[in-house]
Parts: sequence; structure tokens; C-alpha cells
Amino acid sequence: MAPLGAPRLALRLLLYLALQALVVVGCLGLAALPTPEPPPRWQLTEARLEPPGAAVSLPHHHGSRFTMADPPRYGLAFDRPPGLPEEPWSVLLPRFTNGVAVAVNGVEILDSRRNPAANRPDRSSPEIAVIPPSLLREGRNELTVRLFVWGPLTGFLDRIHVGPDAVLRPAYDQRVLLFVTLPVVLAAWQSILAVILAMMWLMRRHEPEYGALAASMAIGVMQTFISAPSGQSLYAGLNAVLIASAPLESAFGVLFFVLFLGLRLPRIAVLLFLPGLIITATGLFGGPGPVRTAYLMLGPATVAFCLVLIAVLVALAFLQRRDAISLVLGSAVTVVLFFCVHDILSILDIAPDRRMFFSRLSYSAMVIAIGIGLTWRFARALNQVDSFAGRMVTLVREAEDKLRATLALDEERARAMALAGERTRLMRDLHDGLGGQLVSIVALSERQRAEPIGEAARAALKDLRLVIDAMDDIGGDLMLALGAWRERIAAQLRAHGIALDWRVLPPQGLPVHPELRPGHVIQIIRLLDEAVTNAVKHAGAGTITVEIETVAAADGDRGRISVQDDGRGFDAKAGSAAPPLAGRGLANMRRRAERCGAQLAIVSGAEGTRVTLDLPGRFADLEAPGD
Amino acid sequence: MIEVLLVEDDAPTRWRLQDALGATEEFAVTAAATVMEARARLSEAAPRVLLTDLQLPDGHGLDLIRETRQRHPETEIMVISILGDEESVIAAIRQGATGYLLKDAFPTDIAATVRDLVAGHSPISASIARFIVRRTQAQSDAVPAPQGLNTARLTPREIDILWGIAKGFSYADIAGHLGLSRQTVPGHIKNIYRKLEVNTRGEAVFEALQQGLIRL
Repeated sequence: MAPLGAPRLALRLLLYLALQALVVVGCLGLAALPTPEPPPRWQLTEARLEPPGAAVSLPHHHGSRFTMADPPRYGLAFDRPPGLPEEPWSVLLPRFTNGVAVAVNGVEILDSRRNPAANRPDRSSPEIAVIPPSLLREGRNELTVRLFVWGPLTGFLDRIHVGPDAVLRPAYDQRVLLFVTLPVVLAAWQSILAVILAMMWLMRRHEPEYGALAASMAIGVMQTFISAPSGQSLYAGLNAVLIASAPLESAFGVLFFVLFLGLRLPRIAVLLFLPGLIITATGLFGGPGPVRTAYLMLGPATVAFCLVLIAVLVALAFLQRRDAISLVLGSAVTVVLFFCVHDILSILDIAPDRRMFFSRLSYSAMVIAIGIGLTWRFARALNQVDSFAGRMVTLVREAEDKLRATLALDEERARAMALAGERTRLMRDLHDGLGGQLVSIVALSERQRAEPIGEAARAALKDLRLVIDAMDDIGGDLMLALGAWRERIAAQLRAHGIALDWRVLPPQGLPVHPELRPGHVIQIIRLLDEAVTNAVKHAGAGTITVEIETVAAADGDRGRISVQDDGRGFDAKAGSAAPPLAGRGLANMRRRAERCGAQLAIVSGAEGTRVTLDLPGRFADLEAPGD
Repeated sequence: MIEVLLVEDDAPTRWRLQDALGATEEFAVTAAATVMEARARLSEAAPRVLLTDLQLPDGHGLDLIRETRQRHPETEIMVISILGDEESVIAAIRQGATGYLLKDAFPTDIAATVRDLVAGHSPISASIARFIVRRTQAQSDAVPAPQGLNTARLTPREIDILWGIAKGFSYADIAGHLGLSRQTVPGHIKNIYRKLEVNTRGEAVFEALQQGLIRL
């Protein structure tokens, strides 16, 4: 990450804040939207509150936090105009805290305390009850609403609607969808996330952020599904603790964000869990009553603080990384923060309104954002794995190729070394044994004037040198073998008084043949030896010319070696007895050329004989052992 | 008269070489058949040329070459080789020899070779040159030279000369290619020999052992 100049940073911060302001404006718009309500014709706003026996108008805030023993009664009246078709009528209570008991003409038709979902003051659950036709009179009817409050909030009763069930029901259904069903859907989503994240954490212990988020999600799910009994029960305290676990949930949330954004976690962060733990302890030892008080005092503040913390962290992360995910998360946090503040103001009666709570609902925005963030990170990791896998495949292939090449090279080197070792051993043996004996024969034959024997021994020594020389690793450069050959024939020709004209025509030398093996070298040198020997023995030549050149062929450069003498050509003697080259010698030379895949051309005339050997583009494999 | 000490245990070969050198009047040849005999002759007087075989009944010719090289630096040393193979010739060069002679060489060639050597022209064969330059390649490939031959001191020009010899070019051709005078090529070859010589006795024995050239 490139270090940023302060002006760029300030600009980015400004942009970020502007975007969040936009989000807030959007939230304001959302909050200003009217909640679903039936037509005003059916709403009742006038009520008589007992005690104190005063007329109040709905919605009404009742200052008491606990009215279980002697609940306040709201007396209302409604008219059922005569002549209406026989259709069921209902009473709709869109919002109240905490519980209501509704009686029509003195007969109770609804007690919301029996509906656990309606007992959750943090959810804006509506209630509807069909008035039994037998109770309903034409004209004036009496409606009595007893308001039960058991904290932590003060009592509240919104406008009441009484009218045809068909007219009231849609508004009720919409409210149920919004405030009851949606939170359940959100909770289901959260529970799936919790399970997935828990699995993720179990498999990847080094990434505790998944564990923190799983805990946060699990707590959220429990909050949704735990019902709040109004009475005392064995588990009432535990239930109250779980319902009041939002501070713990938000503390885990902060933990997640710190880890997810890769920030350093300061030790003091443990303190974030303190309010949640205090509430829990209160619930476990004090029961539902004290836990509600403790929650009211600590809960919303902690949640709000955590949200602010998360908002700051995400904003910092965005400033550092400029990634879209931080932006999405940041906007989601702003949404939640906005509605949290909205709800707190409502709880504290600072901004008394219809006491609709949206925090839990808006939390879905955050869950969606977190889902997006996780999926994005997962997809990116998969992409990285893919590209890594691709890179690995390439690397492995390269390594394999390299290894294969190295092995081939090693093999080649080992072969060369084995050949060299074999050659050294053979040479030592030949040197100590055969070589010494042949030299003795040469020496003795000279003393005894037994020229043919000396000649034969010398030829044997020459051949011995050829074989040993051919075994040397010449790296496919036939010139290196020809260099040694030149010395041998030079000595031979000197003894016979024949001049050697050695010509290497430009461009210098012969093509290199990596496939050249000692067997090939032996065949070629013996062939050339034969040509020289023929010239020495039968042609009566004065000069032997050896020409080495490279000629261009259709499929690349080819080497050409020719041996030419200035003696009597053998064809010139046609008709004379047994021309030497027509015999075994010629056949031998042809066979040797064939074995290597070389072309042999022999031209003989009055000016002498020319043996031309055209080397192949590629030397043939030698199947049969050379002779 | 050029005094030559010939050390060769095989009698026919010794006679042959003696005859070849004795044919002209320029050489005064003293012959020895063993290392002991040769040392005795060397202690009397330093010859101009020492010709020695390697495998001797009471020792190794390499010892003789080294001793002579140390005691009589003026003496030119040549190794007598049966096959002219690198194993023996290179070992001798490393001890201080500056040439080699084939046992079956024609008598005229023998005399000419010794004459050239005295004139400062060290003979070198294509296969020996090939052996040396392939070692320089092996060393530049960062592969330890198996023969322990130190070719690091050879100049690029000297290596070029060796390549030319290995490929069968004449001195005249090589001189032409490299822009040298033909007469300077033999001097370069002698320099090459000197550079391949090992300097101390300990080093020599160690390297010889490494190469398996001497068996203790």
C-alpha cells in the first residue's frame, strides 16, 4: 500500500463521510415512511384512562414501568352502524408495550400475554382479535383495554382500530410480515451463517474472526427464538439473559470486524464484553426483573458504542485500502447505527413517537453486507487458489522439464565418464600388454630386416591407436578425430616418401553431429585409411590430397571428406589382372559408408583416384558391431 | 653432439631407438634399462635430452622425469610412449616433460623429433591437444576436471592453438588464423607444457594419486 499524502487522505475521508450522510438521508426517508395502517375511519383515539379517570388521546404513553398487579384500564367506545352486512368485526392493536387484555362489552376477547411473540417489547408485534358476533351490538359498544407493563420500557398504547375484519386484516398482515416474519427470516439466515462460520472456524482455527462472527450470529438467533414469558418460571431468568444478550452479540461483532479487517486487537477490547457479562450475571442471580433494569441501563448504550466503534474501524479500513467491501460494510453499519439511535431516542422518550423499533430489522442490512464481504473474500481466495494452482502446474512442469533435462545431461555425462573410464582401463591394458609386444615386433623385425612383419605390426599398432582414439569423447566433432588421423597418415606417408596435402576448405571444418558414436568414427577413419592405403600401395602416387569441406544441401549443411591421389587410376588398368579397388577393398569401403548412412563416390582416371565421402545429415544408429 | 640419455627396459626397443639416433652423427646416446642405472648416469653428467619410458622394472619413469626436472632444469625431457595416449603423456607433461616419442615411430621421425625438441619445438599430438582443451571446457563448465589437470593458467590464445592442433590444422594454418608468425607456434606449445607442469612434489604425488596414474 502506497503511503498517502495527507490531502489525499482528507479528500477520501470527506468522500466517505459524504456517502454515509447520503445513507443517513436515505434512512431518514425510510423512517418517515408510514407504517401500514387501516383507513382512519376505523380508528379510535378517544379513551378514558382509569386510574386516574381522565380522558386521554391515543397514542398514549403511560409513565409506569410495572403495572402487573393493578393495570391501567383504557375505556373506549365505538359504534357499529346499523344496516351493515353480516360480516365479522375485529379489534386491531397495532402497537403496545408490554401486554394488553381487550374486552368488548365486558367480555375479554384477547390477552396478548398468551402470545409469546407479542410479549417481546423489542419487537413491534401487532395484535388482532375477531369480536364474537354475539358480543357485538348495533350502535354503541364498549371496548376496555387493560395495559400490562413489566419493564423495562414504560407503557404505551397506540391507536386502536375497530371495524370489519376484511378492512383491518391487510394492515395487520403487513405489520406481521414486517415485524414478526421478517425477523424470523433474518434469524434463519443468521442461523445458517452461524453454522457455516462455526464450521469454518473449526476447520481454520487460525482465523478466529469466523468464530467471533459465528458466536455473534448464534446469539442473535437465540434472541429471536427465545420467547419471553410474562410470568415467573424456572427458566425465566435464563430467558431474560438470552433476550438481553445484544451487548454480547455486538461485542462479538466488534471482535469480528477487528479480526476481519486484519487490525491489531488491543487488550482493552476485553472490556467490551463487560456490560454483556454484567447483564448475564444479573439475570442468573437476580431473575428477570433486575436483568431488565440492567439491560435498560447498559444494553442500548453498549450496542450503540459497539456500532460506533465498528463504524470507525470500517471507515479507517476503507481509508487504508480503498476497497469496495469496506465501503459496503461501512454503509451497512451506518444504517444500523441510524436505527439504533432512532430506537434509543424512542426508548428514552426523547423523541416520543409510535414506539416502532427498527434496530433488529435494520440489522439485516448488516448481515447482508457481512454475507457479501465473506462471499467476496471466499471467491477471491478461490481465485487465488486457482491462479496459484495454475502457477504451480506451470512450475511443476518447468521443474519436471528441468529435471528431465538434468537427468538426460547427467546420463550423458555418466555415459561419457563410463566411456572415458573404460578407455583408460583398456588403454592401460593395451599399453602394458599388446602395445609393448607389437612395438617389440616392430623393433625386432627391423633388426632382422623382416619388413612385412614390421609393416603388419605397425598396422596393428595404428589400428589399436585408432580404436582407442575413437573411444574418446569428441563431442560429435569429427574434426577432432580427423586431427589425430592426420598425424597417423602423415607418419605413414612420410615413410613412403609421399607428400600429404591437407586442406580444410572454408568455411572451416565439418558440422557437429551430437549423435556421432565411436562406432561411426571407426567406420569413417577405417574407410579413409583404406583409401590412403590403396593410394600408397597401388597407385604409385606422389601426393595425396585430403579435402575437408562443408557443403550446403537441401536439408542443411553436410560434411564432405575426399581423398585424392595423383597416381595411376585403377580403371585405367582395366583388363589387367585383379584391379585392387574392384576387389574386397572397395566392397569394404562401400559397406562402411552404408553403415554410417554416408554416400561414397569413387572416381578413377588417368590423373588419379578420388574417393569422396559425403557425410549424412544424421548418422544412422549402428546396430551391428563395427568390424 | 647432443647428449641423450635413453631409459628403456625393453631391449629391442632400446636398440631401435639407439640405432635411429645413432644413424646420424649429431647424437651421443647413453642407454639405461632401469631407474637405478639412469640415476647413476644422471649423477655423472646432465644430458641435453632425457628420453624415458614410464614402466621400468625398478620404478616409474615419472619419478625420473621429476628428479631430472628439479636437478637439471636445462635438460629437455621426452617420454617414450607406446600409443601416444594422453594417460601417459599428460602425466609426463605434468612432471616436466615437454614432448613424447612413439616407440614405433620411423627412425627418421625419431631423430627429427629429438632435433626439434632441442631446437625448442615441443611436439604435441592432436589427441593430446584435444585432451587438454576438453579439460579446459570441463573446467569452464564448473565441473571438476576428472584428471585434475590444471588448465586455468592457459590463455585464450593458447587454447585456440590447441583447438587448431586437435582439429588437424598445420602450424602454418593456425598461425594464419590467429594472426601469428608460424615460427612462434612451437614456442606457445612449449609454454603450454610448462603451464601444465605441477610445481611441487607433494602436489604432484597427490594429483597423480587422484588420477590413478601411479599406484602405491
